Amino acid sequence: MPITPMEVYKLLPKTNCKKCGEQTCMAFAFKVINREKQIEECSPLFEEKKYANQKEKLLGLLEPLKEATETGLIVDEERCTGCANCIVVCPVHASEDPYGSGSGYGPKIEDPIYRLEDGVLKIINVKKCRRYGKNRILCVACRENCPSDAISFLEG
Amino acid sequence: MHVCTGCSCLCDDIDLKIENGRISRAYNACRRGAGIFLNISSSRAKPTIDGQQVDLERALQKAQEIIQDSENLAIYGLDTTTLEAQRLAIELAEKKEAFIDDNSTFCLGDFVEMILKKEIPSTTLEEVKNNAYVLFYWGTDPYHSLSRHLSKFTYYPRGGKRQRGYEEDRFLVVIDIRKTHTAKLAKKNARFLKAENDADIIRGFIDALEGRSPKIFQKEIPRILKEMEKGGFNVIFGGLGLKYGLGGDYALLKEMIERMNERSEVYFMPAGCHPNMRGFNELLFEKTGHVNRYSFREKRSSDDFAFHRLLKNDSADTALIIGSDPLNSLPLEYAGKLSEINTIVIDPRETFTGRVAKVTIPSALSGVESGGTMIGADGSRVELNPVFEAEINDEYILKKLLEVV
Ligand code: SF4
Ligand code: SF4
Ligand code: SF4
Ligand code: SF4
Repeated sequence: MPITPMEVYKLLPKTNCKKCGEQTCMAFAFKVINREKQIEECSPLFEEKKYANQKEKLLGLLEPLKEATETGLIVDEERCTGCANCIVVCPVHASEDPYGSGSGYGPKIEDPIYRLEDGVLKIINVKKCRRYGKNRILCVACRENCPSDAISFLEG
Repeated sequence: MHVCTGCSCLCDDIDLKIENGRISRAYNACRRGAGIFLNISSSRAKPTIDGQQVDLERALQKAQEIIQDSENLAIYGLDTTTLEAQRLAIELAEKKEAFIDDNSTFCLGDFVEMILKKEIPSTTLEEVKNNAYVLFYWGTDPYHSLSRHLSKFTYYPRGGKRQRGYEEDRFLVVIDIRKTHTAKLAKKNARFLKAENDADIIRGFIDALEGRSPKIFQKEIPRILKEMEKGGFNVIFGGLGLKYGLGGDYALLKEMIERMNERSEVYFMPAGCHPNMRGFNELLFEKTGHVNRYSFREKRSSDDFAFHRLLKNDSADTALIIGSDPLNSLPLEYAGKLSEINTIVIDPRETFTGRVAKVTIPSALSGVESGGTMIGADGSRVELNPVFEAEINDEYILKKLLEVV
């Protein structure tokens, strides 16, 4: 499910022309996935006809990025049965909401990362997630404990 | 906070948003649980006689007549209703010298019986949350049937002595014939044993406890036993897979649990899904010493008194079915049997069984539209906190039926 920089790179012009402001197409590919760059910033891809085919493929590939939150977190509600494993396992919930979601109950804080609404997982406040912001770390606890693979991260 | 009656977890932390007298949002409930709160108005039952809609009064009257005239009444269902209603149903069965049975005959009644007879030690989910280290899920996939079991009570929550989270403070063992959703969670600090034969695995544990090398899972079984000694407090959740895997012979299981307890505390708990099945089992046990399949006329319990057997053997002239839809799971021939006798269905929703019944009486959804008490799978009592109060509920209807006996 996660999109890899390599997949993006393969569809770029691969000329390292630097028009996007990056030194290489590969560096640009990384930043696109981290949402630090927009794909539209690769002007040759959009201006030169010979890349039209690649451009279409690339836009298709990047479609999920639009739905993902700023941490690259995607929840597939169809797959979710509302077991709440992800909510309770989250280390942020454990430390900030020890008597609510940290103890297995529904969240008792106003702005948890996740909450069950109408039986499925909803993202409430992604800013609290450890994958977010400057000091981010690559936490995968929620994804790893989802029995139905309903949670995914774009960056893997 | 409301209590969800979607399964035997009886989660008590459900928040609801009510707008214009309707439930518009459900928080903290799993998919199954939220469905109950959000879809209260879908496929509601109507009062009928011979399939024709009638006034509630007429349906009740007809049911009273049928009960009054019945000579061999069978009462069935009851696992989704409250203790208060179950008590009335048992009283009715006693007065009519009737048969009484519930889903636990198919489900985990055998396990509940062993616990009530104190043949195996059991504990509560609160104790599990605060103390348990090794958690066995044996022949059960709670992800589907008891969705919040692992997150609310067992593997994931921090509590009491277990504050460091699942990776350090719990050890998960999943035993099942296939790699279930729950088995997928058995990663670090965990084991998945693929069970071709449950008895063989039990023998493996007994062998290892006696110092012999087990014939299967030679590495895993000794490791699990070592973890159990380390943890000091361990629990086995047994499901339908274990029950049917053992084919009704629990001697080995009991022996294993007894032997395990010589080294560390090990408790056994049923992982069955009907919200108040244990409640029915406990009430009937208090009164008769049996948990299901009981005849008040013969004052004994027997396989012959299981509801489907009563139908098959034409032992009942009347069936009173409360909060259950046996035709949903029984083979088609039973539809014929139920339509030949006088069948009364009391249910909040339309059911397959209701379609062949002589009389249907619509009732209230326990937990949403009517209050009372239920007993969760672990034996703890939970007071329901309904959103609405319907006047016509199972208790009301059963009291009406009791008036004529
Ligand atoms: S503008 Fe496009 S082609 Fe040029 S370096 Fe950047 S990614 Fe590569
Ligand atoms: S990635 Fe980690 S911090 Fe972020 S929501 Fe998931 S468990 Fe919580
Ligand atoms: S762990 Fe997966 S299935 Fe369970 S609530 Fe979270 S997203 Fe849904
Ligand atoms: S786990 Fe059971 S009791 Fe808890 S919310 Fe889900 S259906 Fe309701």
